[in-house]
Amino acid sequence: MISQEEVERLADLVRIKLDKSETDKLTRDLGGILTYFAELKEVDTENVAPVIGGTENKNVFREDEPAGSEFSSEKSTRQFPESKNGFLKVPPVFE
Amino acid sequence: MNIQNLTIASLGKSLQEKEFSAEEVTRAFLNNIKENDKSIGAYLAVFEKGAMEEAKLVDEAIKRNEALSPIAGAPIALKDNLVLEGTKTTAGSKILENYVASYDATIIRKLKTHKAVFLGKTNMDEFAMGSSTENSAFHTTKNPYDTSRVPGGSSGGSAAAVAGNCALAALGSDTGGSIRQPAALCGVVGLKPTYGAVSRFGLIDMASSLDQIGPITKTVEDAAILFDAIRGKDSYDATSVDREYDEDFLNLNFEKAKKLTVGVPKEYFAGGLSDEVKKGVESAMEKFKRIGIAFKEISLPHTKYALSCYYIIMPAEVSTNLARFDGVRYGRAKENIKTLKDVYIETRGIGFGTETKRRILLGTFVLSSGYYDAYYTKAQKVRRLIIDDFKKSFENGVDIIFTPVTPETAFKIGEKTIDPLSMYLSDVFTIPANLAGLPAISIPIKRYPLDRKELPVAFQLIGKHFHEPDILSLGMLYERE
Repeated sequence: MISQEEVERLADLVRIKLDKSETDKLTRDLGGILTYFAELKEVDTENVAPVIGGTENKNVFREDEPAGSEFSSEKSTRQFPESKNGFLKVPPVFE
Repeated sequence: MNIQNLTIASLGKSLQEKEFSAEEVTRAFLNNIKENDKSIGAYLAVFEKGAMEEAKLVDEAIKRNEALSPIAGAPIALKDNLVLEGTKTTAGSKILENYVASYDATIIRKLKTHKAVFLGKTNMDEFAMGSSTENSAFHTTKNPYDTSRVPGGSSGGSAAAVAGNCALAALGSDTGGSIRQPAALCGVVGLKPTYGAVSRFGLIDMASSLDQIGPITKTVEDAAILFDAIRGKDSYDATSVDREYDEDFLNLNFEKAKKLTVGVPKEYFAGGLSDEVKKGVESAMEKFKRIGIAFKEISLPHTKYALSCYYIIMPAEVSTNLARFDGVRYGRAKENIKTLKDVYIETRGIGFGTETKRRILLGTFVLSSGYYDAYYTKAQKVRRLIIDDFKKSFENGVDIIFTPVTPETAFKIGEKTIDPLSMYLSDVFTIPANLAGLPAISIPIKRYPLDRKELPVAFQLIGKHFHEPDILSLGMLYERE
C-alpha cells in the first residue's frame, strides 16, 4: 500500500527526522490505515460537491481600516529561540 | 462545604448567601488537587497563587454588592491547548515544552470578565490527537473511576479533573469527539457547540474545519451556563458566527423541550456496542419515553464512512497547521545546528510524538499529487453526503438525534496503543457531528459515585446548527427526572 521509500520521502517533505524503527512502524501503520480507506471507493460521489472548510459562510468582509495592534512585537518575539533586534535569527540556509 | 455536590449553578447562590467565600471554595479544590491528583494526573500545571488572587477579587466584589456573573468564583480547569497569557501552554507536546503564551484566547478573556477562577492547565493527547490521553508527552492521565483505565481523550485531563472533584468545571476542545468521549468515560457532561458558535482564537489549531471549544461540567445546567459565557462572534476568528439565540440559557424552556421529536439512527445501533453501553442507552431511552418524549427510527446511511472520511480530512489539516512548529518561532531541539533545514528536521523529529508524526505523514500523503483526488477530494465529497444525511433527517420532522457516545466503557491503559486503528474506532459515534458542524452533548446515563467502581456510560444528543438550547433543555429534563 505504501513503501518504506515513500514514507522516507514524505518525512523529508514534512521535515521530520525519523529513525529506522519509526520508519518501519509508520510504514506498517500507514499501510493499514490506507487499506481501511479503500471502503470509500464503494461510495457513489458522482455529481457531489466537495465540502471545503467547516462553515458554509462566504465572504466575511470588514472595512479596510488599520486597527491598533494589541500584540506588540516585543511580546510576540519573546518566545523566539534566537532573535536579534526584534527579528528572527536562524542558521544559514546553505552550508 | 461539600465540593462533590457543588455545581456552578449552586455556587453563585451559596456565595451570595455567604455560606462560604470564593477563597474557601478555591482553597478546597486546590487541597483536593494536592490530595488526589497524584493518582489521577489530570493537571500539567496548577496556578495556586493566581487562583487564590482571582478568588479574593470575587470576594471583594461580593462585599461591594456588585452584580456578578453566575460563573464568578467558579474554579475552572483549562485544557493545555488554550492560551492564557504568561503561562506555559504545551498542547501536551514536547515541542512546546517551554512555550509561554503571549496573549489570552478569546474564551479566556470572556471568562476573565466573568471573574472565573483558573485552577490550572490539564493534560491532553499531544495537539489533541488521541482518544486516551496516552499520547501526552508528559504523563498518562488516569480515570478517577478506575486508575488502571484511561479517562478518554483528547481532553482527558479536563474530564478527569471534573470527575475527580479537582475542578468545578473545565474547558476542552473537540475535533472528532475530544470533549464528548472523555466526558462519557469519566461520567461527566461534555458539550461540543456548533462550528462557529465559539471563537477558536487562542486555541492551538489541530484541524481548523472541525475544532470547537466547549465546556466539561458535572451537570447539563452548568454546561449551559458556561457555553453562554464563552459563545459569540469574534473578529479574530473569521469562522465564528454572529448569531443571537432567542432562548435564555439560564432559563431554558422545558415545555418546548418536551415537544421535540428525537430520531434514533439505526446505523449507530447496528453492532459493535458493548453490553453495558447498549443497556445504558436503552435505559436512557426508556426514561425519556416515560417523560413523554417521542422517538422515531431514522437512517443516516453514510455513517459507516465517517471514520475514513475524518481520518483523511483531519490529518490533511493537521499536516498544514503543524508546519508552524519549525524550531524558529517556538522551541528548538538543539543548539548549534548548522543549517536551517537541520533546525527543522531535528526539532520536529525530537519534538513530535509518534501519533503526531503519523498524522502529519498521512495528511501529507493524502494531499500529495497523484493521491489528492483519490483520497482528499473523495473524502470532501463523502463529507457532503454525511452532512446531507443529517439535513434530510432534520427536514423530515426530527429535532434531535439520540446515539451512544462510545462503543464501550473506559478501556485499560495500554490496551489500544499498539494499533492506531483500534484507537481511532473509539470516536466512531462522535466524528459525524464534527464533520457536519452540529452541536452535540454527552450526558451520563446516571450519577456514578466514585467509590462504587462502576464505569460510566453516556448517551449523545445531536442538534441542528445553532440549536444548542434544544439539546441542553432536553438534557436538563433528563437530568432532573
